[in-house]
Amino acid sequence: MDDRELIGRVLTGDPRAERELYDAHVDRVFRLVYRMVGDIHRAQDYTQEAFIRGFRRLADFRGDSALSTWLCAIAISVTLNGLRTLKRAREREVGLDEAPALRSRAVEADPDLKVRLTRAIDGLPKGYRTVFVMHDVEGYTHEEIATTLGVQPGTSKAQLFRARARLREALADFARE
Amino acid sequence: MDDDQLDESLRAAARDYHAPPETPRDAMWRAIEAQRRVDRARRPATRRWIPWAAAAAALIALGVGIGRLSAPGRPAGPPVSAPVAATSAPRVNETAYRLATVEHLGQSEAFLTLFRASVRSDGQERLASATARQLLATNRLLLDSPAARDRRTRVLLEDLELVLAEIAQLSAGGRAEDRELIREGLARGGVLSRLRTVVPAGTIPTRGNL
Repeated sequence: MDDRELIGRVLTGDPRAERELYDAHVDRVFRLVYRMVGDIHRAQDYTQEAFIRGFRRLADFRGDSALSTWLCAIAISVTLNGLRTLKRAREREVGLDEAPALRSRAVEADPDLKVRLTRAIDGLPKGYRTVFVMHDVEGYTHEEIATTLGVQPGTSKAQLFRARARLREALADFARE
Repeated sequence: MDDDQLDESLRAAARDYHAPPETPRDAMWRAIEAQRRVDRARRPATRRWIPWAAAAAALIALGVGIGRLSAPGRPAGPPVSAPVAATSAPRVNETAYRLATVEHLGQSEAFLTLFRASVRSDGQERLASATARQLLATNRLLLDSPAARDRRTRVLLEDLELVLAEIAQLSAGGRAEDRELIREGLARGGVLSRLRTVVPAGTIPTRGNL
């Protein structure tokens, strides 16, 4: 069954169609959200919220993009909002002066590339990180990223270029080894 | 290590960045399903009322218009302090009656279309019955008015009266067979198609304009 037919059934209030639609897209949405947050509980919360919003707004889906892209766009929006709220909460909990000291000590203490890369990606600006995760980690094309984030493909390419440059810079000492 | 090698190492290492566990499908679905049940319980209740409420509002406007038609013509200006003895019968405005009839038939057509579309769903009998009773009252007023002098209009109003009377008899939680019988009666008598023939396209009014 294609998405259009499934959407039609969901809009008539068929709960089984909602489950079918969910099953068809949840893996992709959950993977993306998890890659963004790295925490199972938050990833669950954000994925659930994305689907709930998606079902509520399904009547507004015009079919300009694939349904999965549309759902991912909602998921990204929910995730970024959630991370923003989380960041504000953390900033209140940890004094701003303490945070950089903690981070630099941790980086020096662990020379493993994966660990350092994880920290470097975590430290990227929000826009760079989203594009990097979507393209280099989850394998989205620039066109898909552009549709999902509502930007031009060129913007997606530029952000990926800058993200990689930042990561190279962050891992420069590793490159010299 | 040059830039290309570093990029390759980065990409390889990036695949493990926040490597997702297996999707907790059922756990998430339970939460989504619970919220959707709440959504469904809220939304249809609101939406079901909208067309019926609109029909009822339009009907009230129509009733006011008919009431004004039935009353003797009165010039605008300060109210008359003493009653004036009627010296002649109320002046009948044929055009106004015709407009009122078209308006009523338009309302009835909208109502019956809505009724036919929702005939298989339960829980709307009371609303449908109340709307039908109001339409029935207007229908009887028009049958007793000069509007019914036209034979074709009178026959249509009489047939419409039968259908409206049947719907008005529906009770909450009534049998599905009753609704189905009315629907079949509608189809058999061709009331809806005759209403659509009489009411010009795009003139189904939502407000009286008398």
